[in-house]
Amino acid sequence: MTYYEEELRRIKAAVFGNQGQIDTVIGVRNYIDRNYENELSLELLSRARFVSKFHLIRLFKRYYGITPRQYLIDRRIAKSKKHLESGMSVTETCFAVGFKSLGSFSMLFKAKTGKSPFEFQKEQLSRSMVIHES
Amino acid sequence: MRVTLISIPVLDQEKALQFYTEKLGFIKKKDAPLDGGNRWITLVSKEAQDGPELLLEPAPLHFEPSKVFQDALMEAGIPWTQFDVDNVDSEYKRLTDLGVEFSVKPAEMGTVRFAVFNDTCGNNIQIVQTL
Repeated sequence: MTYYEEELRRIKAAVFGNQGQIDTVIGVRNYIDRNYENELSLELLSRARFVSKFHLIRLFKRYYGITPRQYLIDRRIAKSKKHLESGMSVTETCFAVGFKSLGSFSMLFKAKTGKSPFEFQKEQLSRSMVIHES
Repeated sequence: MRVTLISIPVLDQEKALQFYTEKLGFIKKKDAPLDGGNRWITLVSKEAQDGPELLLEPAPLHFEPSKVFQDALMEAGIPWTQFDVDNVDSEYKRLTDLGVEFSVKPAEMGTVRFAVFNDTCGNNIQIVQTL
């Protein structure tokens, strides 16, 4: 057995011993993956899992390193890039990925990617035109 | 400042280029000649061609401490670099069919499924799927 395999074994026992908690956070992540385009309710989820909402958030952060909200935003921004690349309008995109206001969508998009959704789309579309012409 | 490049030390750039493009499926983005037969070779993922570039860095060939460090990591089985995949098990099957050797078979730890293979250029590489 290599040094790395021994370390894996040690870390697994020390850090990842609680399979129940791990199953819970994986369940939360899958729930976000399935529902991020719609209304999302952590309250509903925590009730289904018999744990408090705050405990759920703490557990998620412990195992994934980010909060469920941060993960949800990343998911939505990633999907919105796909929509914008395919030519969907900024307003349509905003609601299609589950945001409720154009203002907060634009602000988050700019914070995460460095460009506003409008700028991003203009760049992507002009890029694909260049490719088609060449 | 932006993160756009990560380096991977390789003993033989040409051999690495073949392994990383033909077996792993990366795409060559830049290839420019440098001094002494070295090249500036960068690769990108097929799915993110405007994403970060992977530099095939020939340091182990010219800078002894780099070689010593690389050999020690290899000996200990430690992967210094990891890549994300959608499905570890299907990548494991695809790569073993191509003759790639794994030192850690697909296994789970916490919220990830992972495996470790030998890139034939002196490195252990870890592939990871987040569960």
